[in-house]
Amino acid sequence: MKLSWLLNIDRRIIYLLVIVALGIPLFIDYSLAPAPMKTANSFYKAIEKIAPRGKIVLVAADWGPGTQAENEPQTAVAIEHLLRRRIPFALISNIPFAKPYLEQLPETVADRLEAETGEQWDYGQDWVNLGYRPGGSIMIQGMAKAKDLHEVLKTDAEGTAISELPLMHNVRTIEDVAMLVEVTGSVGVFNSWIQFFRNDKYVPAMVHGCTAITIPEAYIYYVSKQIVGLFEGVAGAAWYEELLSENYPKREKGSALQMMTALSFAHLLIIALIVLGNIGNLAAFMKNRRKQP
Amino acid sequence: MIGLELFSLQWFEIFCGGFCVLAIFSFLAKENPFYRIFEHLFIGISAAILIMEPIRTFLWPQALKPLLGMDRIPFPDGTYPEPYAMSYLLFLVPMGFGLLYYFILSPRHSWLAQLVIGFSLGVGAGLSFKGIIVEMTPQLTDSFRPLYVVGSFGESLNNIFFIFVLLTVFSYFFFSFKRSPNGLMVKSSWIGRTMMMGCFGAFFGATIMARMALLVERLQFMIAQWWPALSQLWR
Repeated sequence: MKLSWLLNIDRRIIYLLVIVALGIPLFIDYSLAPAPMKTANSFYKAIEKIAPRGKIVLVAADWGPGTQAENEPQTAVAIEHLLRRRIPFALISNIPFAKPYLEQLPETVADRLEAETGEQWDYGQDWVNLGYRPGGSIMIQGMAKAKDLHEVLKTDAEGTAISELPLMHNVRTIEDVAMLVEVTGSVGVFNSWIQFFRNDKYVPAMVHGCTAITIPEAYIYYVSKQIVGLFEGVAGAAWYEELLSENYPKREKGSALQMMTALSFAHLLIIALIVLGNIGNLAAFMKNRRKQP
Repeated sequence: MIGLELFSLQWFEIFCGGFCVLAIFSFLAKENPFYRIFEHLFIGISAAILIMEPIRTFLWPQALKPLLGMDRIPFPDGTYPEPYAMSYLLFLVPMGFGLLYYFILSPRHSWLAQLVIGFSLGVGAGLSFKGIIVEMTPQLTDSFRPLYVVGSFGESLNNIFFIFVLLTVFSYFFFSFKRSPNGLMVKSSWIGRTMMMGCFGAFFGATIMARMALLVERLQFMIAQWWPALSQLWR
C-alpha cells in the first residue's frame, strides 16, 4: 500500500481539520469532565482562607487581547470566587491593552451572580478598578514601599479619588493586601511582582494564572512555594470552574470548560496526525531500504 | 446573540470584530492583500494605544495637569481655594532630563542622550540585582532536597530524580576543564542534554496548547456572537 501521501498532506487540510475538531464541541455544546489539577486546588484553598470583608485582594490582570483566550477565563473565575465570598478586591494592570477588560469583567461576573443569587455587588464596595498603571517594576515597588497608598494611587480608573471609595478606606499600605492574584502571559511581568511587591516586613500571599506556554517556568515558583496557587493555562480555569460548581450547585456552566473540551478534541487530532506522519515516514524509509542493492 | 439591536453600536463592534478575524485568518489559505491591510491596521492601533494610554492615564493627569495648575478647581469668582504649589516645578527636572534622550537624533549632541541611557541602565541594573536575589533565593534553597523522606516513597523518588536532573544539567554547562572521551562528565552531560530535550518538548507541547486556545476563543466568538449578529441581517 502506498503511504507516501501521508508526508504530503496540504497544510490547509490540516488547518481545516483542526478548526473542525475545535468547532464540533462548540457547535453541539458538549463538555467533558475536566482533569483535576493540584495547582488550581491550592489556588482555591488559598482564596478560601481569606476572611470575608477583611483585607483586600489585589488582582493584577496583566494581559490583553493577545492572551485573552487563556487569561480571561482565569481572571473571571478568580473574580467570581472573590465576589461569592465577599472578599473585597482591587483590579490593576501593567498592560495598557487590559483597560477594557478591567472595566467589563467584574461587571459581567457580578451581573451573572446577581441573576443567580438575587444578592447585590457594587462598585466601590466590593471591588475597585485602579486601571492601567505605567512604570512596571518601579510602579510595583512604589506601591509596596508606600506609607500611604492613597497618596501613590490618587484616583481609580474613572478619576474618582481613592479616599472616596469605601473599599479603600482602610487600605493604606501593602500590609492591608491579603493576597496578590497575578494573571499574565508574560513571564517578565510576573517576575516583577514576585521581585518587588514586598517590603522588609511583609509579603502578601501570591497566586498566579499563566498561559500554557509559560507553565514550565511558572511551575518553578509553585514548587519553591513563592506562589501558593497556579492556574495552568485554560485547563486550570476549567478545573476551577468545576470546583466552583461543586460548591455552588446553582452555578451556570462557564466557557473555560467548553474551551478545554474543544482543546482536548484538537489534541487528539494532533496526536493522530503525528502518528500518521510517522507511519508515512516509516513507510518511506522502508521503501528506500528495499530499493538499495 | 439574542436581544442585540441591528445596526446598534454593539452590533457594529461584533460585526467588525468578526470581519477582522476572517481577514487575519485568510492568511491560512495564502498570503493576500486583505490580510496585509488588517495586519497593518492592527499594528497601527496597537502602537497608538501604547503611546496614548501612558499619556492619558499618567503623564497628563499626574504630571502635566498639576504642573500647569490645571488640577485646581476655581471658585465661581475665578479665585482658587489654595495657591499653586511651587514644588510641582520640580517635575521639570526629570522631564527635562528624560527629554535629553531625543538628542540621540543629533550626531553632534548625542552624548547628552547617553546620559539618559546610562542612568536608565544603572536603575535597571540596580533593580535587577535586587530582584534576582529576592526571586532566586527561594528557588535555590528549594533545590536542597532530602533524598530520603520518611514515610513517603513517592516524594523520595521525586527528590532523587530532581537532584539527578539538576546535577546532569549542571554538568552540561560545566566547561572549566577538558573532558576525557567516555568520561563521567561526557556521559553526565549527555544525560543532561537529553533531559533538557524533554523540557523543550514540554515547552513545545504547551505552546501548541496555548495557540489552540487562541483559536478556540476566536471560534467561540464567531459561533456565539458574530454569526447570530450577522444572521440578523436576513431575519
